[in-house]
Amino acid sequence: MRGATRLLIWIVVALALVLAPLGLPPFAMTLLTEAVILGLFAMSLDLMFGYTRLVSFGHAAAYGLGAYACGWMLLHTGMPLLFAVFAAGLLTGLMAIGVGWICTLATGVSFSMLTLAFAQLLSAISFKWTSVTGGSDGLAGIPRTIGPFGFAALSSKTGFYYLALGCLVGGFLVCSALVRSPFGAVLRGIRENEAKTTALGYNTRLYKIAVVAVAYGLGGLAGALYAPFAGFANTELLFWLLSGQVLIMVIVGGAGTLIGPVLGAAFFMLMEHQLSALTEAWALYFGLIFIAFVLFAPQGIWGLATTRLRRATPIARRP
Amino acid sequence: MPLLELDGLTRRYGALVALDQVTMRVEEGEVRAIIGPNGAGKTTLFNVITGTVKPTAGLIRFADQAIAGLPSHQICRLGVSRTFQITALFPEMSARENARLAAQACHPRRWQPFGGGRIFKEAQSLADAALEQLGLSGIADRPAGLLSHGDQRLLEVAMAMAQQPRMLLLDEPTQGLSVEETAQAVDTLAQFLQASRMTVLLVEHDMEVVFRLAHRITVLHRGAVIADGSPDQVKADPRVQDAYLGGFA
Amino acid sequence: MSTLALLLTQSVSALSQSALLFFLGVGLTLIFGLMRIVNFAHGALYMLGAFVGYSLSSWSGNYWLALAGAPVLVGLFGAAFEFTILRRLYRRDAHAFLMVTFGLALVVGEAVRLTWGSDALQVAAPPLLSGVIFLLDEPFPVYRLFLAATGIVMAVAIWQFLERARLGLLIRATSQNADMASALGVDIKLIRSCVFGIGCGLAALGGVLAAPLVTASNGMAATVIIDAFVIVIIGGMGSFLGSLIGALLIGFVQVFGNYYAPDFALAFMYLVMLAVLVVRPGGLLGKEA
Repeated sequence: MRGATRLLIWIVVALALVLAPLGLPPFAMTLLTEAVILGLFAMSLDLMFGYTRLVSFGHAAAYGLGAYACGWMLLHTGMPLLFAVFAAGLLTGLMAIGVGWICTLATGVSFSMLTLAFAQLLSAISFKWTSVTGGSDGLAGIPRTIGPFGFAALSSKTGFYYLALGCLVGGFLVCSALVRSPFGAVLRGIRENEAKTTALGYNTRLYKIAVVAVAYGLGGLAGALYAPFAGFANTELLFWLLSGQVLIMVIVGGAGTLIGPVLGAAFFMLMEHQLSALTEAWALYFGLIFIAFVLFAPQGIWGLATTRLRRATPIARRP
Repeated sequence: MPLLELDGLTRRYGALVALDQVTMRVEEGEVRAIIGPNGAGKTTLFNVITGTVKPTAGLIRFADQAIAGLPSHQICRLGVSRTFQITALFPEMSARENARLAAQACHPRRWQPFGGGRIFKEAQSLADAALEQLGLSGIADRPAGLLSHGDQRLLEVAMAMAQQPRMLLLDEPTQGLSVEETAQAVDTLAQFLQASRMTVLLVEHDMEVVFRLAHRITVLHRGAVIADGSPDQVKADPRVQDAYLGGFA
Repeated sequence: MSTLALLLTQSVSALSQSALLFFLGVGLTLIFGLMRIVNFAHGALYMLGAFVGYSLSSWSGNYWLALAGAPVLVGLFGAAFEFTILRRLYRRDAHAFLMVTFGLALVVGEAVRLTWGSDALQVAAPPLLSGVIFLLDEPFPVYRLFLAATGIVMAVAIWQFLERARLGLLIRATSQNADMASALGVDIKLIRSCVFGIGCGLAALGGVLAAPLVTASNGMAATVIIDAFVIVIIGGMGSFLGSLIGALLIGFVQVFGNYYAPDFALAFMYLVMLAVLVVRPGGLLGKEA
């Protein structure tokens, strides 16, 4: 795959995504929007898992937190959609600094269990704090408030799609810049040999906390998009099953590539909506596919696709 | 004034005394070998100097600054770099990238979350210079995990050098190398040490390596210094011969 | 209820809870101790044990058959999984194991849902064990006493097995130094399959024992996997004694916590885990995680 071919593919994909609302029927647009939101969610986990090898079993915490925060703001304050979404994302990122601080007290599996524990804790809180979260019913009827500056376009189906797409692209640009930066180089060092990275003089804990905060922030942004998209936010968004599914999306899609997880999310949605019509056991097959990938193709779909490209590029030129 | 001064340095683990009142002075430009039987406390000494482990008692002065008890990343930034007994590298990164990451650690804006073109360039030039010093420029683009053992050990030294240290702690640099690999590595190290005039603390088991590279030798036994002097003096010292059960030839 | 009676009732409850948690935790810790794998499917296997137990007991009308049969069946399944799939991963990094066992958890979870449906299923305790007996004028459910007793008996049995039985010694030797054991002629691969199978079987035992108490349901796997990890982390990964202590600690925290401050019991348990991890990152008694 030469550079020119690659660029061409990018352009085609970009055009397809931008022009989609013109060609696709409404139900397909809904699916596409959800895939975009899920893609952002998966990409955020890739920062933690793919680039830093921080295995999180509780990433749903970010999603759920973002969704509830945004939903609550849209329901109870007059905040316009755009601000609520970004405010919720920011809030999640800020909270994640604390979460990261606690979880990075441990390493390895203990770290993973702490992330899961935190998600479970949030889940329990969401069930019990009925006044704020609506308990097991959750928050319903979340409006897409326009607000004083107009932005009327955003509340329509197409407008919302572009908002989500914009967040995905923006998130991708942010993550891309991050992993190519000096900060990103340290993350990769942590991934390959954390002890050595510390021995070189880096305070690796700070870097880990920072990446957790950014990952949760972007995950929270995805959740914040979901709430007005679906019109509701409930405890399922904090459930450990979701944490597991997003991890699968990252791995099947291709960890450590940013694009792979987005593909993984799309693949997952495809399976969910297409296979579930054919068989009740689609989730079972998905689990088996996942195991197969871990065993035989750990680099994921995108990893497989770009292997040829990687072999052609000399190591020194890779970001 | 000596670059490194240890005064009554002690480290206890419960009843076990790993370091016992170790007192040492290392001059700038000196290559000091630390030898002793297994369990003598050599690695503990390194750990205490680099801040990985805190001393129970005693003082450490580096470049006229008290460093005992400081966190390890701070000591690293003050100019103390070390290598480890067991090879620790970033296996999937190239040798150049390994060294670059090492050099980056000393840059004031090493944490910058965007751009970084200039930071990378500066770090890379330090890294490339270090690789050159250790004769590794030829394999610079190969993934570190695929290098020969000898080159891997030298890469570790290069990484330490990329941090522009004032003092280098080498923990058994020829560990795990075959006879030929050792000979090659020692040749390279000897050249490098002569050219750079680096202050070095060298832990080694291989006596030939020690006699080839070191200016002075300090002998540890059960955590305490039992001899300290030139290679000839140490060779002839009866206490050293005792400790090593059979002594040298 | 007098304070003594209250304490006694709650303690028996806590002991019975600890017994269930112990079966969960000891399997997980044995597997980790030998193979350095964290078996994420442990909760799902616990659940599988409950459902298989349900089927066996309704098919045969005999609870005791289910109690004996479910662990054996699930244990064999676990050993087969290790033999076919996990074996390929020993040369890879630790994350691969975590992922694959996670996939197993999902697959088992879905298989259970497809085979037995989404409704919770009632498993009847045998007549011998239902009802209450009276101590200090307070009613104690016989089943809980049975659980507590089973827990104690099995704890001793497993301890003795590890200390005295030939297989137990082989397991301990291989846990400490696999290369050495292999050099001495021990068939490491066989031991690994055995231990994984035994670990899964123990989890299933916990499940089938729990079934009459909590009814078998789909949500079991999720809640229980965290409990298992909390216990093992507190007690220390790889330590048998640690899993015992962890199970006791968490059993008591859960039962007494539920009684006095039901809203905070969950949070409190995580705080305990956090505290242990901060003070002693390897758990109270464990090897490195």
